[in-house]
Amino acid sequence: MEARLAWRLFKRELSQGQLLLIILAITLAVMSVTGLARVSDRLQIAINGQASKFIAADRIINSPVEIDPQILVQAKELGLQQVSSMQFNSMAYANDEFQLITVRAVAQGYPLKGTIELDTGPARGLPELGSIWYETRLGGILSYPESLELGNSEFTLTREIARLPDAGFNPFASSPVVLMRIEDVAKTGIIQPGSRVTYLYQFAGDSAVLKQFENQVKPLLNNSQRWVDVQSGDSPIAEAVKRAERFLLLASLLGIALACAAIGIAAQRYCQRHFDVVAMLKTFGASRKQIRILFGLHLLLVTLLGVVFGIIAGLALDAVITSYLPESIAAYGAPLARPVLLGVATGLISAFMFSAYPLLRLLAIPPLRVLQRQLEGLQFGMWLHLLLSLAAMALLGYLYSNSIALTMTVVAGVLLLGVLLSLFGFALIRAGHSVGMKTTNPFQLALAGLRRRARQNAIQLVGFSAALVLLLTIIALRQDLLNEWQKQLPEQSPNYFLVNIAPDEAAPLNDYFAKHDVKATDIYPVIRGRLTQINGETLISSEQSRNGDPGRVGISRELNLTWRNSLPENNEIVAGEFNLDDYDVSVESEVAERLELQLGDTLTYMIDNQELTVTVKSFRAVHWETLQPNFFMIFSEKALAPFAYTSMASFHLPESKRHLIIELIQDFPTVSIIDVGAMVAQLRQIIDQVSLSLTLVLVLVLAASSLVLVAQTEAGMATRQRELAVLRTFGASGSLLRWSTGLEFALLGAIAGFMAVVVAEFTLYLLKTQVFELNVYMHWPWWALAPIAGAIIVAALGTWRCRALLQQSCSQLLKARA
Amino acid sequence: MAQQKAITVNNLIKKVTTQEGELTILNGISMDVKSGESVAILGPSGSGKSTLLGLLAALDSPSSGEIYLDGSALHGLDEEGKAALRKQKVSFIFQSFMLVDTLSALENVMLPAELAGIANAKQKAEAMLDRVGLSHRLTHLPNQLSGGEQQRVAIARAFICEPKVLFADEPTGNLDGANSQRVADMLFELNRESDTTLVLVTHDLQLAKRCQRQLMMNSGVLTEALATENSDPVDAKEAS
Repeated sequence: MEARLAWRLFKRELSQGQLLLIILAITLAVMSVTGLARVSDRLQIAINGQASKFIAADRIINSPVEIDPQILVQAKELGLQQVSSMQFNSMAYANDEFQLITVRAVAQGYPLKGTIELDTGPARGLPELGSIWYETRLGGILSYPESLELGNSEFTLTREIARLPDAGFNPFASSPVVLMRIEDVAKTGIIQPGSRVTYLYQFAGDSAVLKQFENQVKPLLNNSQRWVDVQSGDSPIAEAVKRAERFLLLASLLGIALACAAIGIAAQRYCQRHFDVVAMLKTFGASRKQIRILFGLHLLLVTLLGVVFGIIAGLALDAVITSYLPESIAAYGAPLARPVLLGVATGLISAFMFSAYPLLRLLAIPPLRVLQRQLEGLQFGMWLHLLLSLAAMALLGYLYSNSIALTMTVVAGVLLLGVLLSLFGFALIRAGHSVGMKTTNPFQLALAGLRRRARQNAIQLVGFSAALVLLLTIIALRQDLLNEWQKQLPEQSPNYFLVNIAPDEAAPLNDYFAKHDVKATDIYPVIRGRLTQINGETLISSEQSRNGDPGRVGISRELNLTWRNSLPENNEIVAGEFNLDDYDVSVESEVAERLELQLGDTLTYMIDNQELTVTVKSFRAVHWETLQPNFFMIFSEKALAPFAYTSMASFHLPESKRHLIIELIQDFPTVSIIDVGAMVAQLRQIIDQVSLSLTLVLVLVLAASSLVLVAQTEAGMATRQRELAVLRTFGASGSLLRWSTGLEFALLGAIAGFMAVVVAEFTLYLLKTQVFELNVYMHWPWWALAPIAGAIIVAALGTWRCRALLQQSCSQLLKARA
Repeated sequence: MAQQKAITVNNLIKKVTTQEGELTILNGISMDVKSGESVAILGPSGSGKSTLLGLLAALDSPSSGEIYLDGSALHGLDEEGKAALRKQKVSFIFQSFMLVDTLSALENVMLPAELAGIANAKQKAEAMLDRVGLSHRLTHLPNQLSGGEQQRVAIARAFICEPKVLFADEPTGNLDGANSQRVADMLFELNRESDTTLVLVTHDLQLAKRCQRQLMMNSGVLTEALATENSDPVDAKEAS
């Protein structure tokens, strides 16, 4: 019986549009989660896929010694693709000339991701046994030999390499790279016990399997072995991907929170509308169990419909967005199960947990309400509602993000926001207590209305403000992230690096750039040196430290040093002053931290077999992602200028001026040119994809916010109708009522807008400092715009919702109340 | 054989706590209503009429006193027990009709029958609507019906489960003269035919006069009104 009745009620209410709001809210929540999860999965896979090309694999183990073969067996058993390679430096001999080169010896299967770019285009396969592919500039240095001696063997030079996929981005890598087969390494006889070799083990495969492999293998690695993935900071896009991931996750969580709020409000309204029905059913003898089953089933039907619509809409959303994505991304398939299951879970959990409190109240409606309409039965504490809502949000957040920390941060934020807004809103509205109730002035009538509905308005304020806060936060974050990326890779970011610039070539080079109107960075002198002492204490290597030496650990490789009189672009002083005049140095802040340096410490370097001691004057934060020469140590000119040096610079050459490169090579034959244009293009593509996903999230949050706003104005319509009837009866004119209603909503919107700015600035401060590592600044225009926009939006929505009531005559209003 | 009592009330007291202190709404009411009898309860607003109706109909609980409805002691029942009793023995008609506005006339009438698990609820509902002259309005929603028609739907709903006692709260209070007359005719006709006990709360003297007995409620005290054909039931003696 209950099932039949539930079905009948559902069918009728559905066809009469009574369930529209709650179904829409559930649909939106499910759509956000399903659509966003699928699109972000797809983008994530695409981004990681693109990023993998930068390391030619999904994961790498980087080790100074060969790793335990058991690890490779494990990878094979898990079904991962794997390829091993070695990298070492050696002297090569050709045409009576010696040259230091970097040898990359790879096994069949390299690269697992991306391609080797040759001068003739993408390579298929690898060098034959006995032959070598070489970096273009090596040809120039060694006068284009046909073969090259390496250790005990001679190799034929067959192809020119434009770029290796995992060449990384290191303009200081002064020695040219050659690529050979790993099988040929033994016959060179170069690798002896104690030789400095880097063993690279690259892996690729399904992300879940990779995760499993990581969990098994990572604990087995020692301090000298490194686990590398696209986000390890080794790839230039790591930071962009990390931030985008955090943003997507956060925005999705906020989106879910918003949709949940909409469901909560809609559920409350849904239950209020059924108060009389329950009272009537109880009067006719319906048992508590019957009512419970009836409304449980009814809500289940509502939820199921919302979930089905939501999943269809979510998948449609994904399909539409995918159709706009470039083919290279759209081609990445994303699994369907996770987004759909997440959507179903979101629908069920949010609908039932947010409806639990209103439903409890509904079930507690006393039958006596049929005679005494004001009775609403048991008033459970609001804390129960809050507790259930937060529990639902936490559960959904955790399901979605798998991160307790992020979930708890959002929940704590929402909780704090709710409490603050309720208190603040209530206080603000109560402050209008002294205002009288004259029925001639719309403004006073509006103020009186606000005051009368103080409690209800405080709750509405929470809804309005929360929607605006989230909207402002997402807009600001998206803009900041885009700006940040734009700053890293502006339209004119350098696409060429110049190294080995002789001191006497610097001025002609600058003239050349000026003549051809080419945008170039400053020219930086480069001197290689080794840090040997801090405050007179001789430094030890990390290997010595591992072997039990208690000394202070330094940097066990040569550093590229430069001097400058002014702070380079994209560098920021975090401590001290960049004022290098005597024997001074400015140190990059992370290195300073690792070396435990203090301002005023003295550092001793070994340069060209001479000692140089300088004082630490400042610490700098450096944006390593920028395509400009960046340095750990910047000296005063006085300290470094006496040493022999070459220089480097980077510049941007638009496509239309590509021919200048040939000219440049001819004019400056000893300068080496490194083309990073392809990498920049690849980076930009990734950033465009991420930007797209951010815009998408913004649109969804906007939709969720609008629904919350609409749902909020819906609440309290009944009381408003009663008041309008009374005011009409006492002779208030139509225009007075329209104005006062509009003004009341406008005031509410303005207060909500103001509070939203306060909370959004605060939230942004926390997010930027704790999660996104972005610069914090105030959004002053918002302080004026948000209250105005809040007033306009809420007033428009409110009067639109009330338009039918405002058009009714006095008798109609009174009759409707009866 | 003595006529069975449908309702017996002994020393019924209802008090509520307000901001000003405790307020006694019903002050020691005792009364009997015979089975099949129709009783009108009159009285000024706030005199306690509706409170008494709520208590008699097992919608509310008294502060003290006893109520027997068709032989069952209400004062000993919990909420579920009262609901079961209402389902078996009681029905209602309200001033504001209390129809479910999303269900059709037919579905509204079926509702109590379905709650009570009556098998052929639909047929019975159709027959009831036919009896109140609304067989042509089965699929209409409440807002598509006039006030009089809505109350006739409510009457059909009230009688579908063949209740022992029917409680009516100002059944014509929202209707104009002609509709009021028609609804009242219908109510008394069905009441007579089904031999239901009718307890009616009203301000309408004409309607009250159509009942066999008239009781007067004043400040929580119930008295028997001595009504004659042409006089108002103003003279009263203690109800018994």
